[in-house]
Amino acid sequence: MGDLKKKKVIGNLDDSQLPYDYMDRPYGTVPADESRPPFRWVSEVAYKNVYRIVARGYDTTELVEQGYGLVDMLFIDFQARIPLVEEESMLNYIMILALEDGLSMPAMMSRIVARSRTFLTQACGASILAFGHAYGAYSAFGNMLIESLAQMEEGGKTIEQVAMELVQDKLGDPALGVSDLMLKDPVAKRIFARAEKLGVAGKYIAFTKEIVKAAQQISNHPIDLDMLGATGAAMMDLGFTPEATWAIMAITRSFGAGAHYIEEVEREGMTRLGQELTPKEDYDGPEDRPVPPLAERDRVAKPAQTFTPEEWKNAFEKGKKLHGSGFAVIEEIEDPSEQR
Amino acid sequence: MDRGPLFRRKTAIAYKTEEKTVLRGYDLSELAEEGYSFCDAIFILLQGRIPTAAEEKMLNYEMGEFMEHSMSPSAAAAISVIAGRPNLPCAVAASIMTFGGVHGPGAAHGYMMNKYLERAWAEGKTVDEMAKILVDEYLDAGEKVIGLGQPQHRYGDPRAEPTHLKQEELGVGGVYLEFQRAIEKHFDARRRKEGKSYVGVNVVGAGNTALMDLGFSPNAGWCIGSVCRGYSCAAHALYHMKKGHAWAASRREPRVQMLDLSMIEYIGPEDREVPSQDERQEYARKQKESGEYKKWVI
Repeated sequence: MGDLKKKKVIGNLDDSQLPYDYMDRPYGTVPADESRPPFRWVSEVAYKNVYRIVARGYDTTELVEQGYGLVDMLFIDFQARIPLVEEESMLNYIMILALEDGLSMPAMMSRIVARSRTFLTQACGASILAFGHAYGAYSAFGNMLIESLAQMEEGGKTIEQVAMELVQDKLGDPALGVSDLMLKDPVAKRIFARAEKLGVAGKYIAFTKEIVKAAQQISNHPIDLDMLGATGAAMMDLGFTPEATWAIMAITRSFGAGAHYIEEVEREGMTRLGQELTPKEDYDGPEDRPVPPLAERDRVAKPAQTFTPEEWKNAFEKGKKLHGSGFAVIEEIEDPSEQR
Repeated sequence: MDRGPLFRRKTAIAYKTEEKTVLRGYDLSELAEEGYSFCDAIFILLQGRIPTAAEEKMLNYEMGEFMEHSMSPSAAAAISVIAGRPNLPCAVAASIMTFGGVHGPGAAHGYMMNKYLERAWAEGKTVDEMAKILVDEYLDAGEKVIGLGQPQHRYGDPRAEPTHLKQEELGVGGVYLEFQRAIEKHFDARRRKEGKSYVGVNVVGAGNTALMDLGFSPNAGWCIGSVCRGYSCAAHALYHMKKGHAWAASRREPRVQMLDLSMIEYIGPEDREVPSQDERQEYARKQKESGEYKKWVI
């Protein structure tokens, strides 16, 4: 940083907007802000004191003493209400189905972490990270339903029209809730049947059914409601937001991931740093080549700079061909708090 | 679409075909259709058995009670992580990962109980005798007895004693409850003798005791507790994500925020000039020789 004193730097010269002198920046921490109330853990969800833990106004020990349980607590924490018996029953049903799914991604992530000899809690936490916008895409699915239904209300379109437009745009998207994953397993459709039987099916299940119908009309291969669509729509009809659904489903599976952690530790070994080999036959990068002497660096090395859009485009396309460079990946990193 | 697992394992937990998902031999969908509860399924997952009605009730009580604890390390982690607005699962994962040797050390409590019960069995001692040995050994070594004391609920964890009572009411108390009660008795007696104040059982001491009397291993109990807390931490993270400002440093908020610059108190080395590269080697040599830096090493 000392070098900057000898150079012209942004914010030092020719910038009349800069509200301070770069060369004379003060050291020292910022004094306490007395113009506003001090920091506190502000929460709408819960508080505690020496004697009580209170969630959304209810003393949690009083809740369990009254016979309310975990599933009721989810409604209280996420929705600030005690659920109907039928709603409690429906969420209970969904959570059983979400608990375990064999050697699925969360289970495998848990097992991989277990092999490093970690705490169980690290493995359970890691398993939750499996839930993204492809695997367990509850946030994407739920927000898609909300946006489509809003379009229906604003645009005067029928539910069938909106479902068809959505499917034409999203068929094949892992967040659609319709796929070929559950053609032989009736469990997804049983979820909707159970919701209807309990009287808790609403607009999200109705709309998802239309999405399934539309998708089946235009798909060139058999598809049907899948577990994402079934559980996601049912959760939203129970009043959970897409994000709350995402969290609840991921956490529920994490209990199963905990069992996989335990089994991995019990039945399999540990893996040490540097232990695993990667066979050459699995490698398809550049051929083995000699490392040039350092003195020849300037002859061998080519700078990455480009100076025209054409050069930039060529370099970008070339970069895409090098797997692992990241040029072939384009993703939208948004502020999820905007998804309401 | 390739539907095979990313890697293969022998597993006694579950299998999944195109037709069904089977947990410890039970079709998951049939369990749900039959009216079993999520807590029943937890027993099947971690113990391979359907619990008695009283056991199911006790687990439901325990999970319902443990899920929400307002501001603890797990909730603080979730809120801090979501301040950067990553995907929500990151905040939940972080919250569960806070459970360790001090925050909700369920497995550690279980291992302690099992170790001393094993000794009681091997040495032919009663549970009460072994509880006194445990308390004395821990305190003589200057260690904390796991499951006792809570930094926020300093007069005793409000969840703990009701959990013991619920175990008794439901008739699901066993050797662990007897052992835990005896530990509390001897711990309290020793503190009184030493003129120290009362320190009660905490929710790990009470809750994990119940889980172990329900047949869960130390790690299985820890899984139940720590993952269960993830639900409430998700709610705390969501509240901040939807109703708070990202970064937790906004000056537009009416109250000073968690990461406001004024929240920083610095107690490290004095401000000092960065040496030039010409001066570096001599500067670094003197700095290393003086050894003053060692008091800052962490």
